Amino acid sequence: MKKMFYLLLAMTGGIGLAQTNAPAPQAAPRQPTEISSDSADFDLNIRRAVYRGHVLVVDPKVKMQCEWLVVDLPAAGGHLQSVNAETNVVIDFTDEKGQAYHVTAAKAVYDYKVEGSVTNETVTFTGSPKVESTESTIWSEPLVWDRAGNRFIFHNEIMKFRQNLNGGGTNALPVKLF
Amino acid sequence: MNPGTAKKYLVAGAVAFFLAASNRAQQSPLSHATDFTSEAYYEPPHEQQVKLRLSGAEASPLPGGLLEVKKLKVETFDTGGKPEVVVQAPQCTYAPLDGVASSAGHLELRTGDGKFRVEGDGFMWRQNESSLTISNRVRTTIAVDIFSDKKASL
Repeated sequence: MKKMFYLLLAMTGGIGLAQTNAPAPQAAPRQPTEISSDSADFDLNIRRAVYRGHVLVVDPKVKMQCEWLVVDLPAAGGHLQSVNAETNVVIDFTDEKGQAYHVTAAKAVYDYKVEGSVTNETVTFTGSPKVESTESTIWSEPLVWDRAGNRFIFHNEIMKFRQNLNGGGTNALPVKLF
Repeated sequence: MNPGTAKKYLVAGAVAFFLAASNRAQQSPLSHATDFTSEAYYEPPHEQQVKLRLSGAEASPLPGGLLEVKKLKVETFDTGGKPEVVVQAPQCTYAPLDGVASSAGHLELRTGDGKFRVEGDGFMWRQNESSLTISNRVRTTIAVDIFSDKKASL
């Protein structure tokens, strides 16, 4: 579960998601997330930030690179609604067990909606998305992370395991399949 | 801020720097000023509350009706007086008629609580669109969990 969680953490820039899904002892204050880029546009009317060129997001637990990143910043008290990352999206992160992951895609979209009493929170990877770890590589087009449902949804997936195909424990699939 | 001090070095062109376009009609011929501060207030019923405070170390007229501002600082506040955004730039050029401020120099923008900060080199601020472009070496620091339901915002 942590592995799945960290995938979302990575896509979205990893801004504090771990605190949402995995309560941890209150330790040191969280380190800030930093976004650097060649240039950027900020529209204060619609609270949108557009980063262009060599975009690098560095979070305490993940690193993401892309060429174009759009963040719709929440209003006071609101929830982040949308994050779009495009062009050569690369995410690297390490989970709490030290397992490293490398995710690539042409595009990654975070979307959050509340309809009635239902919360929909997804991350959709498109453009030849691929997740690599020391244990496996998974291709899926698209690759959807349903954060509200706490699961990954693969489409026409291709999986390659490097060891212990039928084993559980540390060699089990890092995600649930549906 | 003492009202008398606030208006001591009022420069009409500088006042218009980040004010609404409707205020531009009130601009008067530009003149040189130092250590100026200007404030804009909310409309009723919050007319006693400062909406924006602009200050600078120096404002000088340039050819073409432009204004050069040094050590610019712009602060915005909500209707409760809470700081919202602070913008600082060592130097910029303001075009009153266009409502555009620009500079090849450094710019820093941060929220009142300091949890969201942006800086970079080379910028253009378009007042009418409330848009800011930073051309080089943009760096954003977010010290808040914007995915949780307890947040700060820009």
